[in-house]
Amino acid sequence: MDELETLRELYGEPQADPFLGARVRGRVEAGVRERLETGARRRAGAPGRRPRRPRLPWALAVAGVAAAVTAVAVAVPQATAGAPGAPSRAAAVSGRSVLLAAATTAAAEPAATGAYWRVRKLHRRPHPEPLGRGGNRYRVAESRITELWVARDGRVWSGSRELGAHPAGKADEDAWRRDGSPAEWSSRGYVLSTAPEQGRLRAATGRVPFSMAGRAMTFEEIQALPVGAAALKDWVSRAVREELAAAAGDGGGAGTESGAGTESGAGGPLDGVVADALSGLLWSKPSPPAVRAAAYRALAEMPNVRYLGEAADERGRRGAAFSFTLRTSPEPVRRTLIIDPGDSQVLSSTVTGPPGSGGDQVELVLEAGWTDDEPSAPGLP
Amino acid sequence: MTAPSRAARPAVGAGCGPAAPAGRTWAGPVPSAAEAAGPLSLDGPEAFGAVFDACFAEIHRYVAQRIGTDHAEDVVSETFLTAFRKRDAYDPSRASVRAWLYGIATNLVGRHRRQEVRTLRALGRHGPDADAPGHDERVAVRVSAQSLRPDLAAAVAKLDRRDRDVLLLVALAGLSHEEVATALGIPYGTVGSRLSRARRKLRAALGGGDPMLDPEEAGRG
Repeated sequence: MDELETLRELYGEPQADPFLGARVRGRVEAGVRERLETGARRRAGAPGRRPRRPRLPWALAVAGVAAAVTAVAVAVPQATAGAPGAPSRAAAVSGRSVLLAAATTAAAEPAATGAYWRVRKLHRRPHPEPLGRGGNRYRVAESRITELWVARDGRVWSGSRELGAHPAGKADEDAWRRDGSPAEWSSRGYVLSTAPEQGRLRAATGRVPFSMAGRAMTFEEIQALPVGAAALKDWVSRAVREELAAAAGDGGGAGTESGAGTESGAGGPLDGVVADALSGLLWSKPSPPAVRAAAYRALAEMPNVRYLGEAADERGRRGAAFSFTLRTSPEPVRRTLIIDPGDSQVLSSTVTGPPGSGGDQVELVLEAGWTDDEPSAPGLP
Repeated sequence: MTAPSRAARPAVGAGCGPAAPAGRTWAGPVPSAAEAAGPLSLDGPEAFGAVFDACFAEIHRYVAQRIGTDHAEDVVSETFLTAFRKRDAYDPSRASVRAWLYGIATNLVGRHRRQEVRTLRALGRHGPDADAPGHDERVAVRVSAQSLRPDLAAAVAKLDRRDRDVLLLVALAGLSHEEVATALGIPYGTVGSRLSRARRKLRAALGGGDPMLDPEEAGRG
């Protein structure tokens, strides 16, 4: 939390009297009318005669605005939920074999070969609003490093380091230079800076360090997950349904019944969340080799996990790309993972955001696995 | 990895311009910006009525944050009347209606400096409208003990008025450097220097590093 956020917390949300808008509108309307009448009298030059009241068809204008807003809301193009082009049968078969091969590799890995399991990721996220001045606009992306350290006894540390915001692409960089190469911007209540911050490391004390589909999980619970593909998928599906039901219960809403059916081969509405939770076991948690292998095998059997073929991540590392839809409404959001079947590691994740998110959110795995290094604040990449 | 995030701060000012500060999180897709209902104009009373309806809530929120709800009503009325009176001076090529209204509101707030200081003192000691009816959810979302920041409130009150105006137009109204420059009629570069100075003083008041900074989601999947 930076000082601007702390400041917003200090100010909070002022209370809004429901009749206030109408009351102030009346006052402003009266003031406007008075002003127009004064102007009319002055022009007429006849103080004795009562001028005609100027017409103020605000009500009409307001109705027009409301209609326009509605039209805008409706006119948002409905993107199709599915990804372009259905995969061929051959692609599906080879995708499945890639995931099964990764499962075999994962299962063959030794359980623990160091004092700490550690994953170091580079995150890049576009800022949702273009920056710049006048007609010269450009996009920036913010980056940061995160690290997660897990000791063999289950203690957890998390580290992070903001790397600052930088022009998103070449054209953006040119526009940024034309803007005078600013090192700071304000946008949406935040100040973005090109400067990296200090790295921080924090022991995850007093809270459950992991979560899967919203369910808090301890290190021990991850170690105890089922090692059969079907059993693991069932476990995850149940957790997803329970978490959604709990979330709906919190909000007093209904509509969780539709969550049933994730076990069916046809694919249920929650398959995206289930696939996401399963894939999280591959690269964001200290899952034992047998659990990682089970997660790969479970993903291989999910019809909503699509094989996109060979691909390279932003660092040029080659692997196999898979994607699944995380949610379909209001706009489809997809996650694409590139995995290295050779060592079963996930290389990168790209979340293709909805319109307005400013672009893709990318995570690159820089290091993953066991180490004897001691936890420390993340260095620069 | 997380399920798609549900929570987002209520969008303020949709239709008047970009949403005021939305929650910023590294987890999940960024909520999309509230789309503006199109360019607003001040030509004619009808158009002015539309501007009022689109921008009232947002301008009121800002003014009420700065000088309290009791005084906000008068100042907001005055803001729109001033805007109407000066509508011929408004240049749509230089500023959005939204930035222009914030500029007028900020000037008017400047006439209530003592009230602003009183408001800040109350915010620092008692928090923002903690006992207002209908605010249970928002109050619950905040960690109320943390929002009581007499030190921070005092630091904001002590700022040079011009620095405070820039700071709050950025932090509360969510304006860009460019919009702040046009709203206040100051050079672009001045926005940056005033903002930096204000932030430096706030950071000092908060005592350097913030232990609450949460390297969220590193392991939360």
